Amino acid sequence: MKRALAWFTGCLLVLQCSGLDLAWLLSWPTLGLVLVSSLKLLEARQPADHRLVALLQLLAVGLLAAQMPGLLASLLQLFTALFALAALLAQELGGALRWRRLLLRSGQLIAAALPLAAVLFLFLPRIGPLWITDVGSGQVATTGLSPELDPLGIAELVRRDAPAARVRFSGALPVEPYWRVLVHDRFDGRRWLRSAVAQSRPPFTPAVVSATTQWWSLEPARSRSVPWDGASLPASADLQIQPDGELMLWQPPSQLRTVRLQLSSEPLPWQQQPPTARDMQFPPRGQLSRLEALAARWAALPRDVDRLAAAEAWFRSQPFRYSLAPGDLREAGLDGFLFDQQVGFCGHYASGFTALMRAAGVPARVVSGYQGGRSVQPLGGSPYLEIRQSDAHAWSEIWLAGEGWRQVDPTTWVGGGSVASREAVLGRNLGGPRRGWWRWLQWQWWGLDLAWTRWWLSFDQTAQTAWLNQLLGSNPNWIGWLVLAGGALAFALGLRVTRWRGVATPIQRTLRLLETLDVTPQPGESFAALCHRAAASHSELSVPLLAVAEAHQQLAHAPLSRRERQLQQRLWQQALRHLARSVSDFWSGRAARR
Amino acid sequence: MHSVEPPLLRRSRSAQLRLGLRNVYIVPTRFGLLWLAGVALLQLVAIQTRSNGTLLLGCLLLGLMLLAMHLTHDNLNGLHLVCDQPAPGFASQSVPYPLRLRSRVARQRLRLQLKGGESLVLESLEVGETSINLSWCPQRRGLQRPAPLHIETIAPLGLFVCWSRWEPSCEQLIIPARRPGPVADRQPRCFQDGMEDWQDLKPYRAGERLALVDWSSLAKGRPLQSKQFSDPEQHQYQLRPAPGLAFETALEHLADRIWRLHQRGEIYGLELPGRCLPPQRGLRHRDACLEALALA
Repeated sequence: MKRALAWFTGCLLVLQCSGLDLAWLLSWPTLGLVLVSSLKLLEARQPADHRLVALLQLLAVGLLAAQMPGLLASLLQLFTALFALAALLAQELGGALRWRRLLLRSGQLIAAALPLAAVLFLFLPRIGPLWITDVGSGQVATTGLSPELDPLGIAELVRRDAPAARVRFSGALPVEPYWRVLVHDRFDGRRWLRSAVAQSRPPFTPAVVSATTQWWSLEPARSRSVPWDGASLPASADLQIQPDGELMLWQPPSQLRTVRLQLSSEPLPWQQQPPTARDMQFPPRGQLSRLEALAARWAALPRDVDRLAAAEAWFRSQPFRYSLAPGDLREAGLDGFLFDQQVGFCGHYASGFTALMRAAGVPARVVSGYQGGRSVQPLGGSPYLEIRQSDAHAWSEIWLAGEGWRQVDPTTWVGGGSVASREAVLGRNLGGPRRGWWRWLQWQWWGLDLAWTRWWLSFDQTAQTAWLNQLLGSNPNWIGWLVLAGGALAFALGLRVTRWRGVATPIQRTLRLLETLDVTPQPGESFAALCHRAAASHSELSVPLLAVAEAHQQLAHAPLSRRERQLQQRLWQQALRHLARSVSDFWSGRAARR
Repeated sequence: MHSVEPPLLRRSRSAQLRLGLRNVYIVPTRFGLLWLAGVALLQLVAIQTRSNGTLLLGCLLLGLMLLAMHLTHDNLNGLHLVCDQPAPGFASQSVPYPLRLRSRVARQRLRLQLKGGESLVLESLEVGETSINLSWCPQRRGLQRPAPLHIETIAPLGLFVCWSRWEPSCEQLIIPARRPGPVADRQPRCFQDGMEDWQDLKPYRAGERLALVDWSSLAKGRPLQSKQFSDPEQHQYQLRPAPGLAFETALEHLADRIWRLHQRGEIYGLELPGRCLPPQRGLRHRDACLEALALA
């Protein structure tokens, strides 16, 4: 059975390994550990070998937990750890091993160790990573967003309906928000590319979190830029706002990421960051001749705002049409899209508008991210916003002197810009054929997942610091005493739990009562005989003692029908209660006489 | 399981011992140290990846280790060891040494071993008194105290080994090892092969010595019959240590001869310096002779 337990644990581990991201360096040691533990299990003969297997499996669980912190994965890891521990315990639990006893014992041991683990987990101050290893490739994006925006090369945009992110707000959900992710500022005449991002790690500054207002749970992605609203402050030290307004996660890319943001009362610095030469970069003159000619007319306008207004007016006046299948425009180029075909999706409009603005002398760039999202109300939870890959969107940002970067979405100007046509323009295809119950289950699960994100994954160094500050107030040096005292208390509690041997049976309780009267069972003495002996030596208690003896005899030996047995059970309970009362009266009476 | 023998250990010699804080020792096993290294690894991974799950698992393993220290200690603490009266045994062979273990609580796997003997593993120890027999291999004859007792446990997780040493003070009578060889004996009055010199057969009764059974008639298909000797008084040996041999060797030969003569139902006596046992037979006589040999 010990072997079966270990094999079962191994199977659970292999199951979880199938979800590993092999691009991450840590996944290889994990696979190695699982492999080595399985091989060791094959040749294990001695208890020492089995113990080693269990330890290797526990370590593998720990490494898996580091890579897959999601709710489902964590549940699996919990079970795996339980089974590995049970296999370890089975080595020393002698005699006929029974599942019930083994599981009870494992559960008891974990319950005993948990208080101490919780104290260490909650109170022991944490430290940040000792060194940074970033081995995952940052170029491959598995989200709907690509670091290279090339709308002209896409003949037909297939909307992927895969989930991208979930976000919970402490306040009301925003209406039609824009979630910026990537900023494309290099333009080669057709494509929009990202500049190389700064690779240096920001200095560690544990921010004091006043109140987290957004909890994000992101689907696996290798890109380090994460969606945000552009107006909040990161609430953990591993997030940093880049000068161009991207929010970067300074953490090795993992399977599932969580991001916490807090509301900022003032505008963020990136919005006022002056444009660089990159934001004005334009292909050699003459490549986009018609576009340049149009832009040259606007360049004559005095202010940037006027040029923006002129561009908006021009877009609204042209018969642009929104379509996900505009056909291949690589030959025609931007000129062909803007002036001939005039059919495209958000990427085309953002690309065309940004190029026009640059040609007109206004610093501009393309931003890709998500727009909107669906509000979901899970059972027994607070509502959250669900963002799917089909919500991917592209828009523009232009620099207006005196104001900073302003977000402009040229796609909304398409088709006259009326409110009624907006949904259709943006391609909000909400009414498609969807498996209702499946979607509903998914939403409920994500609700749980967000709660998990909020309460478990968000408890990091920053959150812990904030919490300890709140707890200790002005005496932060007490943390050492707190850990020591809490640890000792938790440890004592754990020891009590391990020594708990189950609820005492009525007979055990009676024996304890009799022990207070100095009556202990002798070898071979039956319970009834013991009661009789106690009654002989304590005549004042003889009535309840004899009643208990009689009731026990009846229950143990008399042939009783079901009804009679129930009746006898009641009598037995009554006799026991009577005896307990009499004994306590006996002692209090004796104390009074003294 | 491996035992740990620290150089300085409190010697306790008594007829009974209660294991407590003063005579129980505990250190981590090699597996325990490996476990600790594993905890360190998990902590490192948790710090590097900021994973709460890994951190909690690391803390849990650490908590289990601290808890296991107490549980392993408790598994031995409070156990009462009492010497029983040991039966005589021969030198140079495995001899059982009886002990009684008294416990007020049930205990998990224990390992007991007299130094040089086989180890005894008790899968579990119930509440109350348990009698066990440990084996040891005495090298010298006489009244001997057994080799030190080593009792240890690594239950429940194998992370710590908790052990104690005890020298049980009850002496065991150790008879010289049985080694075939020459002994000096006075010639009997009529020396013949005694087992062949039977007169009659009678039906075998349960309890009679098997040496008296007439196996040849059984082989011929007749029922079990035992031989009747007409005058067993005639075959008497008076054994003495063989001259010219080392005294201890001579005693070993005597022990072997007495053992075999007793098995054959012969009558024999023993003469030792300062002690003389007249010829007789029977179990009690054999034991008296062997004891005389042991204490000579």
